[in-house]
Amino acid sequence: MSRLLRRSSRRYWLRHPLQAFLAVAGVAVGVAVVLAIDLANGSAAKAFQLSTDAISGRASHQIVSGPGGLPEEIFARIVLEGTRSPAAPVVEETVVLAAEASRSLRLLGIDPIAEAPFRSSFDGLGRGIDLGAFLQRPGAVLITQETAAQLGLEVGDSLQLRVRGKEKSVTVLGLLKVWDRQRRLALKDVLVADISTAQEILGGSGRLSRIDLLLPAGPSAEVDLKKIRSLLPNSAELLTSAARSGAVTGMTAAFRLNLRALSLLALLCGAFLVFNTSRFSVVQRWMLLGRLRALGATGREVFRQVLGEAAVFGLVGSLLGSALGILLATGLVRLVTRTINDLYFAVAVHEISIAPGTVLAAIALGVTASVAAAWFPAREAARASPRRTLSRAHLEASARRRAPRLAAAGGGLFLLGALALVPEGSLALSFFGVLTVLLGSAALTPWVTLTTMGILLEPCRRLFGTLGSMAVRGVSASLSRTGVAIAALALAVAVTVGVGVMIDSFRRSVVDWLGYTLSADVFLSSVRLSTSRHAAPFGPQLREDLSKLPGVEGLNTLRRVQLPTDQGPLRLSALDLAPRAESAYSLSAPSRARAWSLWHGADAVFVSEPFAFRHRLAVSDLLELPTQLGDKPFEVAGIFKDYGSDQGRVMIRRSLYDRLWADEGYDAFSLYLRPGANLDRTLRAARRRAAEVPALVVRSNRELRDYSLEIFDRTFLITGVLRLLAGGVAFLGVLGALAAMQLERQRELGVLRATGLTPSQVWRLMVAQTGLMGLVAGLLSLPLGLILAWIMVEIINRRSFGWTLDLTVSPLILAQAMALALGAAILAGLFPAAKMARTSPSEALRGE
Amino acid sequence: MRRRSPAYATLLMLWLAVLGGGCGGKAAPPEGPRPVREGLGVAEILGGVSLAGYRRATDPRPFEFPRDHGPHPSFRTEWWYFTGNLNGPGGRAFGFQLTFFRFALAPPAAGKRGRDSRWATEQLYMAHFALTDLDQGKFYAFERLRRPVLGLAGAQAQPFRVWLDRWQLRGPEQSQDLWPLHLEARAEGVGIDLELTDLRGRVLPGDQGYSRKGPQAGNASFYYSYPRLKARGLVTTQDETFTVTGTAWFDREWGTSALGEGVVGWDWFSLQLDDDRELMLYRLRHPDGTEDPFDHGMLIAADGTTKRLEAAQLNLEVLDRWRTEDGVTYPSRWRLRIPSKKLDLLITPRLQDQELRLSVRYWEGAVTVEGTCAGEPISGQGYTELTGYAGSPGRR
Repeated sequence: MSRLLRRSSRRYWLRHPLQAFLAVAGVAVGVAVVLAIDLANGSAAKAFQLSTDAISGRASHQIVSGPGGLPEEIFARIVLEGTRSPAAPVVEETVVLAAEASRSLRLLGIDPIAEAPFRSSFDGLGRGIDLGAFLQRPGAVLITQETAAQLGLEVGDSLQLRVRGKEKSVTVLGLLKVWDRQRRLALKDVLVADISTAQEILGGSGRLSRIDLLLPAGPSAEVDLKKIRSLLPNSAELLTSAARSGAVTGMTAAFRLNLRALSLLALLCGAFLVFNTSRFSVVQRWMLLGRLRALGATGREVFRQVLGEAAVFGLVGSLLGSALGILLATGLVRLVTRTINDLYFAVAVHEISIAPGTVLAAIALGVTASVAAAWFPAREAARASPRRTLSRAHLEASARRRAPRLAAAGGGLFLLGALALVPEGSLALSFFGVLTVLLGSAALTPWVTLTTMGILLEPCRRLFGTLGSMAVRGVSASLSRTGVAIAALALAVAVTVGVGVMIDSFRRSVVDWLGYTLSADVFLSSVRLSTSRHAAPFGPQLREDLSKLPGVEGLNTLRRVQLPTDQGPLRLSALDLAPRAESAYSLSAPSRARAWSLWHGADAVFVSEPFAFRHRLAVSDLLELPTQLGDKPFEVAGIFKDYGSDQGRVMIRRSLYDRLWADEGYDAFSLYLRPGANLDRTLRAARRRAAEVPALVVRSNRELRDYSLEIFDRTFLITGVLRLLAGGVAFLGVLGALAAMQLERQRELGVLRATGLTPSQVWRLMVAQTGLMGLVAGLLSLPLGLILAWIMVEIINRRSFGWTLDLTVSPLILAQAMALALGAAILAGLFPAAKMARTSPSEALRGE
Repeated sequence: MRRRSPAYATLLMLWLAVLGGGCGGKAAPPEGPRPVREGLGVAEILGGVSLAGYRRATDPRPFEFPRDHGPHPSFRTEWWYFTGNLNGPGGRAFGFQLTFFRFALAPPAAGKRGRDSRWATEQLYMAHFALTDLDQGKFYAFERLRRPVLGLAGAQAQPFRVWLDRWQLRGPEQSQDLWPLHLEARAEGVGIDLELTDLRGRVLPGDQGYSRKGPQAGNASFYYSYPRLKARGLVTTQDETFTVTGTAWFDREWGTSALGEGVVGWDWFSLQLDDDRELMLYRLRHPDGTEDPFDHGMLIAADGTTKRLEAAQLNLEVLDRWRTEDGVTYPSRWRLRIPSKKLDLLITPRLQDQELRLSVRYWEGAVTVEGTCAGEPISGQGYTELTGYAGSPGRR
C-alpha cells in the first residue's frame, strides 16, 4: 500500500512541478537568509577574534589605561616587583598615509625580545629579517607581503605617514611571510615596528598603550595580580583578556541577535510556503487520498507520506539554500562588517569563514521547519475518513466551521506572545513573543476572511450583481485554500510595514536629533569620526588657530576617549561648549537650569540615554569613573538623547576632564559663526588650515548632517535588505499559491463558461476574487504591521540598544502596504485569468 | 654555551629572538620529547653580519680590575658564567648553572643616533638558569631575554652587578672586590640564592687571558676564570627550600669573533679534582668528527699556577651515548687520559637528562670524575657542556 502511496505522490508532484518548486524555493530562500546572516555574523566575530589574537596575542591579562597611555616605568616596576611571569609592552595606534588621508594603517610597536610567548602571529615570521636593524634603524617596519603589494612597496622602500600633524617616514625593513590565511588577514594593514620605533613615530616616547601579561591560572596568579594592582597608577586598569574581548563582542551581541531574528522571519515565511504548498497539495488530492484510503491506506500511512513529502522539500530546499546562503553571506558580510565598523569597532573581514556546524544547523532548521509546517495538513489528510474525504464540500465546510475555533486559538497565541514581551530581561524571549504574535494573527486570518466576506457580500451584490456576490462567495467557499494564502500575504506585508515603520521612525528621530544637536555651522573632525579605534588626537594649537578664523564667534571642542572599566571600555566625551551649544542639547532632567549649573560647577556628568539604560542610571545618581587621581564619583546631572552610539557615552566638561586626566588632545571641533558672517569664507579658511593637519576633514552643518544620515542609512541597509528578502519570499509564494489555486478551479470555471459567462466576465471574476483576498490581507496587515512596528520600536530597540524613538507612521507606508497586498493578489489572479479566458469551456471541462 | 664563538652567539640570538615563539621563560620538563627547533646553519647565520665597528681581541693585554668585571659594550659578545655542584642536608645534591650573556646588535656609536625612545638600544641581555635536582632526578631550565632599558637588565663594575629582571649577580656594596658574590635566580618555584667566595684566585686561560678561537687574528676573546669558589646558601625546588654548600666555577669572557670554518659544536669540561687541582679542556668539532687544532686545555695547580695542555697531550674517548626521546644523541660518558700528567679519568654525568631545551638546545650538566693519578685513586666533580648535537649550532 505504501508503495502505491509513494507512487501516487511522485506522480502528483511531477504533474505539479510549479508547486513543488515553490515549496523548495521557499525553504531554500529562508534557509539561505538564516545561514547567510549566521555566517556573516560568525565571520565578523571570528575576524575580530583573529585580530585580537594577532594583536593582543595569548595574553591572559592586559594592563590598559585611559587617555595618554601608561608611563613606561610601570612596565619596569611590574617586571621587577610585580610578577615573574612574562610581560610585554605594546604601543599601538592608527596612522594615516600622508598622500591619502583616508587610508589608515595600524602601527603596532612590540618588543620582540619580550614578545616570544605572546603573539602567535609572529611565530616563524622572521626568517631572513635582520633583528639588529629592526631594533636599531629608525623608522624600520615589517609588513606582510600582501600589504606591501597593495601599497606598492618593496623591501627598502619608504612610506610617508601623517601622525599628529607631522609627516613621518618609515622604511620597509622586511616582509612578513605568513602562510596561514587567517593570520595574514589579521596582519593586513598592520605596520609592525620595534617599540622604540613606534614610540618615536607616534611622538609618544615614555608612554605605552598597554602591557600584556601571561599569568598562569591558580592561586599564585592571585598573589601576582594583587601586587600588580598595587603598582598601577589610578588611571590604569588590569583586565583579563577574556573580559576585554568579551566586552567588545558583547557590544555587538544585541545587533547580531536582531539580525538573526530578522533572518528567522525570512525562514518563517519559507515555512509558511511549505505549509501552504503542503496544505494545498492535500486539498488538491483530497479525492485521490480518499480513494487511497478506501483502497486500504491507513491514516498513519497517509500522514507519513505527507510529512515525508515536506521533509524532501525541506531537505532539497535546505541543501539548495545552504549553497545560496554561502553565496549570499559573501555579500552580507560586507554589510554586517560595515555596520560593525560604523557603530562599534574596526574589524577587517575580507572573506567568510564557513563553519560546517552552522551550515548543518541551518539545514536541520530548514528540514524541521518544513516538517513542522506540514504537520497540520498531514494530520488533516490522515484524519479524514475514507468516506468523508471523498467529499470536497465537506472539507470546505469543516474549514469554515473551524475558523472561529482557530481564531480563538490565534487570539490565545496572540496574548501569549504579548505576555512574552512583558519581561524586560531577555531579548530572545521578546523575539519569541514577536513570532508568537505573528503566528497568532495568522491563525486569526480565516475567521477574519469569513467575517469580511460576510460584510462585503451585500454591497458587492448591489454594486456588481451576481458576479460580485459570486466573487465574494468564492473566497469564503474555498476557505481552506484562500485562508492560508491570505495569511501568508498578510504576514509578509505586515513584516514589510513593521520594519518599514520602525526604520522610518528611527530615521525621523535621528533627523530631529541631528537638527537640534548639530547647531554649529562648521565641523572639523578626524576622517573616521564614526569608528571607535582611537586615532591620534589633534593638538591645542589647532584649537587656538580655529578660534581665530574669520567670522568665528564660538567654538565647541570634543575629546573622545575610552576609559577601561570592568565592564569593558567606557566612552567618555570631554566637551567645551560654546554658550549657544547648550540650548541644543535635548536633556531629560527635572530642571534644565539646574542640570547646566551642575555641569558648569560641580563634579557632574551627563550620560546618554543608552548609557543610562545599560547602567540603570537616573538623574542625580552617582557614577564612578576611573580618573588619573583614582576612582571618583560624579553626579548624573542629566540624560541626553544620543543616537550616535548604542553603547552609550558619558559627557564631561573639558575643564573638569583636564583636571582629572592629563591629556591635551582634541578629536573634533565645531565653530559658530557671528550673525551675518560669510559661511563660505570661514569654510575656505578652515579648509586651508585643515590641509596642514592630516586626517582632518571640514564639513559644513549640511554636509555633516548628510554624512550622519548616510551612516544611518548604511546601518539600516542590511535591515532593509532582510526586509526585502523576507517580503520577497512571501510575495513569490503567495503569488504562486494563488495562481495554482485559480488554475485548480478550471473545472468550476469551465462550468461557468458553459453556462454563458463571457471570457471577460471570467477574467473579471477571477481578478475580483484575488483582489478581495488581497484586500483582506492588506487590511489585516496594517494593524499587524503597526503592532510589529510598535513592538520593535518600543520593546526590541529599547531592550537591545536603549534608544527611545518616536513612533511615526507615515500614511505613505500604509498606502504602500495596501498597494503591495492588492497588487500582489491581483497580479496573482491575472495569469490564471488570462489562461482561463483563452481556453474553451469544453477544454476546461475536460479537467486537468 | 660559553665556549660558543661570540659572533655565532650573536647571530643565533637574532635568529632565536625573532623566531623564538613559546620558549621564553618556560621550564624544560625532562619528561616528554619536544620538537627539535629547525635552526639555521652556521654558514647561513654567519653570512651578512658585519664585524665592522666593533673592537676586536687581537693581542694579549693586561686586565684592569674592577673595570673588567663590568660590561665591554664595544665588543660584540660577553658573558658571566657560573656552574657548580651543591650538597644539602640528608644527602640531597644539586647542580646549578646561571649565565648572563650580553650581545651587541650594532657597534655602540651607531646606536642612539637621533633616537629619543628609551627603548632604543643596541644591547641585549639573555640569561639561562638551570637546576639539577639529583635526588629527584629532575632538571629545570629557564631563559630570560631583555634589553637593558628602564633598569630591566644591565651590568656594571662598581659596585659589581649584572642583572636581568630579578635574576642577578651582586658584589659587595662598598668594596672593589667581587667577593662575596651574591647569585639570585628564581622561576616557577625553582630558585637559587647563593653566596660565593673565592678559594683559588683568578686564572688566565690561553695566552695570559687571550684565547684564540680560529686561525685569523681577532678571532679570539679575553678570558679569565675563578675555577674554585665556595658556595653556600639556599636552593628551592618545587616543594622545599634547602640549605646548601658546595663548589662553583666562574668563567668570564668577551670578544668579537667568529668560529673557524666548519666547526659544528664543541665539548667542554670544567673539573674540580679532590687533590685540589682543576682541569679545564675543550674541543671544537668538525662535521666529520675530527677535532679543531685550536683545542686546548689547562691544568691548574693548588697554588694557582697553570699549565697549558695542547691537543696532542689529550686523549678523550666517548664511552657511552644518551639518546633523547626525540632522537638527539649526546655523548654521555668519557675516558680522559693525559699521559704527560699521568691522569686517567672517567667522567660521568650525574643525571643523563641535563639538556636545556630553550631557544637553543644544548646539554650542560653536573658530572662526577673518578680515576687515577699516577696509579693513585682520584675523584672530583664538575660541569660539562655539549653543543651542536641537536641540530644547532650547525647541522650534522
